[in-house]
Amino acid sequence: MTVPPNRPPTKSRLVLLVALLVVLAALPIVMTVFPDQTWVTNSRLFSFTQMFMLITLTSNWNLTGGFTGYVDFGHAVFFGIGAYGTGIFMNEAWPFWPSMLAGAVLAAVFALIIGYPTLRLKGPYFSIAMLGMFVAMREIVRVAKPLTGGGVGLTLPPYLNRPLFYYVTFFLAVLVVGIMWWIRRSEFGATLIAIREDEVGAEMRGINTTVNKIAAFVLAGFLTGIVGGLWAYQNTFIDPDGVFFPSRTVELVMMAMLGGLGTVAGPVVGATTIYWMRDVVWANLAEWHLFAEGMLMILIVLYAPQGIMGKLGDRSGTSLLRVWRNPLRRSALEEVPEDEVSV
Amino acid sequence: MDLFLQALINGVMLGGFYAAMMLGFSVIWGVMGVINLAHGEMIMVGAYLSWLLNEHVGMDPFASLLIVMPVMFIIGYVLQLILINRVVDRPILVSLLVTFGLSIAISNLVNVIFSADPRLTDTALEGAWSVGNVTFPVTKTAIMGVALLIMTSLWLFLQKTRTGKSIRAAAQNKQAARIVGIDINKIYALTFGICIAITGAAGAIISPTQAIFPFMGVPLTLRAFTITALAGLGSIPGALFGGIVLGIVESMIGVYVSGIGTNLAIIASFVLLVVILITRPQGLFGGLRPIEEPVQL
Repeated sequence: MTVPPNRPPTKSRLVLLVALLVVLAALPIVMTVFPDQTWVTNSRLFSFTQMFMLITLTSNWNLTGGFTGYVDFGHAVFFGIGAYGTGIFMNEAWPFWPSMLAGAVLAAVFALIIGYPTLRLKGPYFSIAMLGMFVAMREIVRVAKPLTGGGVGLTLPPYLNRPLFYYVTFFLAVLVVGIMWWIRRSEFGATLIAIREDEVGAEMRGINTTVNKIAAFVLAGFLTGIVGGLWAYQNTFIDPDGVFFPSRTVELVMMAMLGGLGTVAGPVVGATTIYWMRDVVWANLAEWHLFAEGMLMILIVLYAPQGIMGKLGDRSGTSLLRVWRNPLRRSALEEVPEDEVSV
Repeated sequence: MDLFLQALINGVMLGGFYAAMMLGFSVIWGVMGVINLAHGEMIMVGAYLSWLLNEHVGMDPFASLLIVMPVMFIIGYVLQLILINRVVDRPILVSLLVTFGLSIAISNLVNVIFSADPRLTDTALEGAWSVGNVTFPVTKTAIMGVALLIMTSLWLFLQKTRTGKSIRAAAQNKQAARIVGIDINKIYALTFGICIAITGAAGAIISPTQAIFPFMGVPLTLRAFTITALAGLGSIPGALFGGIVLGIVESMIGVYVSGIGTNLAIIASFVLLVVILITRPQGLFGGLRPIEEPVQL
């Protein structure tokens, strides 16, 4: 199967992208210069911060789930380790930045340790093993009371500075999407896609699949660990149920699928769409919104498994976006209608 | 020694429940090739149905099986017709994602309706009788009894009746089953309905001893997966064996590790799952289905 070429963006799209980034970067400045307007407020900055975190998380998930084809139902375990690592080191009176980095390194080390055995599992077994890892880690955190505060949780030194968190998460989201874009164009990315399309074939061609899979897994774990640390510091309080919140791991899968698996722009589009849908539409649904989210996931899988970017990719002909569709099409082709079978 | 015997008995009793609650999961997987991640939620729904009957009609959870099982059968039958049927022939990850979405939707729906407060049902089967220093709580013995009854009847149904044979035929070779005149869609809906009925019944009988709450499902689904990995797909004696092994492991850890034993027991079952999957992906006795293609969606 051919992997579509990854074209550089056209000039007009590049201009549009830069304009969008400039507007986003200017938002907190608008707030300081015009304190009277009601559009850019602290709470709106907070919303954007949450959205940037989700974009980062979904992009990281997409690295293993979309590019490499290992659908991970427990990716939020790295988020939790990053959050708890940061919380534990900060309670040892470390400053924030080293704590966050230490938390992310912990997450990366954990990814390295569990990646070696679990990435040998295929398809659903990998997904379930990671889901098990996620639930087990929640219980481990609950048990390790002296370190993590158990079920009571940990309190971090409060620090209220919305513009700072805004800029940090904004920068991180841009950086991570940039990394994904670079990976997609690099030999490493091509290797990952080769693993997804045909792991045995990739091995035959001399690709060390184990090393590449683990590298992608560890990178995703590290970046997700950073987001976990930021989240913990912003939230100032972490407990097992809040950090290892079951739907946190689901929504990543859903956002990546809605945007388009295995594409660079997909996670951004998916996370943004779902975040604003939740913020604007589902705010009215109040406690029903998680129910609606589950139903939405079913609908996406049944009716739009190629995602928004996959759909767009159809029309505009930029085939960068349709990577994940090929296996789907293949499985559709395999079902030959009975009257077309020649005897 | 008494402590050890007591832990063993408790483990076996817990294992009976585990075997009954995972049977539907393993039969659905074996017959239709669908990994139902909403399995734990079906247990939870059965438990809540039983609680409703207990709270508002005053029905004993064991008697409520007469209502819970038919209702759960209808839920399963309809669910199969409108949802699961669309993913049966698709690659296994599609059904995994759809049932994952279903699991989130159901648990949150129940959370909205009943709130997250843990609940228990009252049963008339209380008290305990003892042999030497080992006690047998009546409720748990009844759970074990009902679980064994359910498993035996399912086994008889699958082995002896015509419909049961059709189900086994559909599991072995779908095309051949179709050729000999078996209506696959009907058989699948029936299988799903029966499995969900059993699963709901497991939820109903556990409701007097374990607090039920909307998010109890995911750990139970994972346990069902652990036992399937231990026991193989669709095997009823295997289910009993795997359930009892897991039950004894959890109960021993709960007894011998003081304080944090119950949490450790949960961890142990997941560690067991991950270790089995890593070391023997085909299941302990080679009963798991091999994954033919590396990645599909």
